[in-house]
Amino acid sequence: MSILSDIFVILLNGLQQGAIYVLLAVGLSIILGTLKFVNFAHGALYLIGTYAGLFVALNVPLSNGKLYEWGLSSIGLDWGFFAALLLVPLLVFVVGLLMERFVARPFYDRPDTDQILVTFGLAIVVQELFRILFGSNSLPFDQPERILSFGSFAGIPVSGPVALPIVGNFPQWRLWVIGITAVLVALVYLLVEYTDFGLVVRAGTRDAEMVRLLGIKITRPYIVVFGIGAALAGVAGVVGGPLNVVNPTIGTNILVPAFLTVVIGGVGSIAGAVVGGIVFGLTTAALVSLAPAWSQVGLYAIAAIVLLTRPQGLLGDEEVAP
Amino acid sequence: MSEKDANPSANETLIGGDLFGRWEQLRGREGTVVGLTAIIVAIFPWLFARAPFVSGFLQGYQSLATLILIWGIFAIGFDLLLGYTGLLSFGHAAFWGGAAYAAGIVAKNVSGDPIVMVLSGTLFAVLLAWGLGFLSLRRGGIYFSILTLAFAQMMYFMAASPLAFLTNGENGLTGVDVGNLFGVIHLEADIPSIGGMLLGTWLYAFVGLFFVGAVAVAYRILNSPYGMVFRAIRENEQRAEFVGLNVWRYKLMAFIISGAFAGLAGSLFTIHGAYVPLQSLFWTESGDIVVMTVLGGAGSMFGPVLGVGLYLYIENIVSTIQVLTIPFTDIVLIQDFGYYWHLLLGIVFVAVVWVVPDGLWGIIGRVRTFVSDRMGGDR
Repeated sequence: MSILSDIFVILLNGLQQGAIYVLLAVGLSIILGTLKFVNFAHGALYLIGTYAGLFVALNVPLSNGKLYEWGLSSIGLDWGFFAALLLVPLLVFVVGLLMERFVARPFYDRPDTDQILVTFGLAIVVQELFRILFGSNSLPFDQPERILSFGSFAGIPVSGPVALPIVGNFPQWRLWVIGITAVLVALVYLLVEYTDFGLVVRAGTRDAEMVRLLGIKITRPYIVVFGIGAALAGVAGVVGGPLNVVNPTIGTNILVPAFLTVVIGGVGSIAGAVVGGIVFGLTTAALVSLAPAWSQVGLYAIAAIVLLTRPQGLLGDEEVAP
Repeated sequence: MSEKDANPSANETLIGGDLFGRWEQLRGREGTVVGLTAIIVAIFPWLFARAPFVSGFLQGYQSLATLILIWGIFAIGFDLLLGYTGLLSFGHAAFWGGAAYAAGIVAKNVSGDPIVMVLSGTLFAVLLAWGLGFLSLRRGGIYFSILTLAFAQMMYFMAASPLAFLTNGENGLTGVDVGNLFGVIHLEADIPSIGGMLLGTWLYAFVGLFFVGAVAVAYRILNSPYGMVFRAIRENEQRAEFVGLNVWRYKLMAFIISGAFAGLAGSLFTIHGAYVPLQSLFWTESGDIVVMTVLGGAGSMFGPVLGVGLYLYIENIVSTIQVLTIPFTDIVLIQDFGYYWHLLLGIVFVAVVWVVPDGLWGIIGRVRTFVSDRMGGDR
C-alpha cells in the first residue's frame, strides 16, 4: 500500500513539474515550428510572468529592491490570484507582440545563430533589469489561498492539502497547476488544429512562401502565434512561481529544460511538447525521491538517449524538423 | 620577397617602395602575425600594470593581464568554431571547466607539475569534445546549440552532486597545489631584471608562451586548405557536401580543436587561480565566451581577444567605478555605474549583434579601410 501511494505521489509530482515544462515548451515549439525563430528570451518571458504574477496576485511585503524604495511595498488586488491569471498572460501577450514586431521580425532572414545571439542578449538585459529593480535576493511567493474571492464572497480555496484516495494528503495547488495546464494546452491544440487560423499557421509551417503566394497575409497569424507562445510562458511564470524560488535567474535557468523538452518532443508538435514535458517531469520526480543526487543529471541523460535513437524527437516529423 | 604572391598590382606597389603597400604585404604573413603577437604579449603587462601614466590611467594589474591571455586562448578556440565553421556552441563551459577540474584533480592526486596539469587538462577536454561533439553534431543549427548547452549542464550537475567526492561539489576544488615549473621555477615569483619589468611573473611568461603558440596554431590551421574547408562549411554546408567533402568529419574536428583550445585555457586557469569554482562549468560561463567573441568580432583572428580584454576590463575595473563622470570634469553621467555594468554590457551586446555582426574588430576594419582609401588614393 505504501509503495503504491509513493508511486502515485511521484506520478502527481511529476505531472505538476512536467506541467511547467509543457507550458513553456508548447509556446517555444509553436514559435520555433511556425516562425522558425529561436527564442532564447523565452525564459525572460517566464521571468516577467512570475514577477508580474507576484505583484498582481498577492499582498507581498517587499523588503528590498527599487520598488520598495519607490514606496510600492505591496500591490494587492482583491480578486487575488484569479486576477493574476487573467492579467499577466495579457501583459506577456502584449510583450510577445512587441517582441515579434521589433526583435523577431528584423531577424527572420538572418542566420539562426544571429537569432540566438540577439535573444540571448535580450535575456541578459531583462534579467539585469529585474535584478536592478527588485534586487537579486529570492522573494517569497506564497501559494495562493483562494481564487475568485471578491468582497464578501470567500472564493474557492486552492491552497493547503487535499485528501485523495490512495495518495492521502496532497498539496491542492499542485493539482490546480496540472488542471490549468491541461485546459490551456487543449485550447491551443484546438486553435491550431480546428480553426482557419490554425490552418494558415500550419500551412505556414510547411511552406510560408506558398501561403503568401495564395494571397494570405501571413504576418498577422505570425505575430499572434508569438503572442500566444509568450502568454503561455507568462502563465507558466504565474502558476510556477509559488512552487519554486523567485529571483532574477529563474528565467535563464528554466530555459535549458524548456528547450530540451521541445527538442525531445519534436519541434512544432504540440503533442510532442506535452509528451516531452511529462517524460521530463516524471523523470525528475522519480529521481528526486529515489536518487536525489542524480535528479538533475537524469533529465540530460534521457535527452541524450532520445537524440541518439530518434534525432527528430519522439513525435517529431523528419520532414519539418531540419 | 613575395614571389608566390599572385596579385600583380600588389607587387607593383612593393617594388614602388610604397610604405603602406609593403605593410599590406607583410601583415598577412604568418611570421609577422606571430612575431607581432609575441611583441604585444611581451609589453602588454608593462603597459597595463607598470608603465608610468598609461597604467595609472588604466588601473590594470598583473593578475588581470594573465587572466586576459587565458580567456584569450579560450576565445581564439571558440572563434574557430563559431566564426569560421559557423557552429554556435553554448556548451564550451564543459571543456573549460572540465579541463580545469581535470588539471586540478591531477595536481591533487598525481603531480602538481604545471606541464603535467596542462597536458592532462587538455587531453581530457579533447576526449570530452570528441564524445560531446559526436552526440551534438547529430543535429545542426539551433539544435546543435541547445544540445551543447544541455550536455554542458549535465557536466555541471554531475560535478555538483554525483561526482562530489572528486570535485568537492558546491565548494569547488580547493587546495590545488601548483608545483614548480621544471622543478625549479616558482610560477608566482617575479622574473629577474628586464624580463620582470616587462612580463612580471613567470606565470605570465608561461601563459604568454601558450598564447603565442595558440595564435600560431590557429593561424596555421585557418590559412591551410584544412581551414578553408571550415569556411566552406560555414558558407554553405550542402555545397561543401556535394563537392565531396566529408562535412561531418570536418565539423567534428573543428569541434575537437576548439575544445582543445578551451581545455588548454581551462588548465591554465587552474594554474593561475589554484582553485576551480563549480561556477566554471555553469552555462553562464559558456554565455560569457559567446558574448566576448561576438562583441570583439567573430570570424576574425584577434577580434575575440579584443572582446575578451574589453569584457574582463569592464568586469574587473570599470565595474568598480561608482560614479561615471565626463572625463576631466565633475559632471555626473551615471550614478552607481558599477551596479549597472552588466545591463549596459547586455545592451551593447544586443546592439552589436543587430548592427555590426562582425563586432568591434569589424568596426576597426571599416575605419582602417576608410582611412586607407583617403590616404592611398585609388587603392
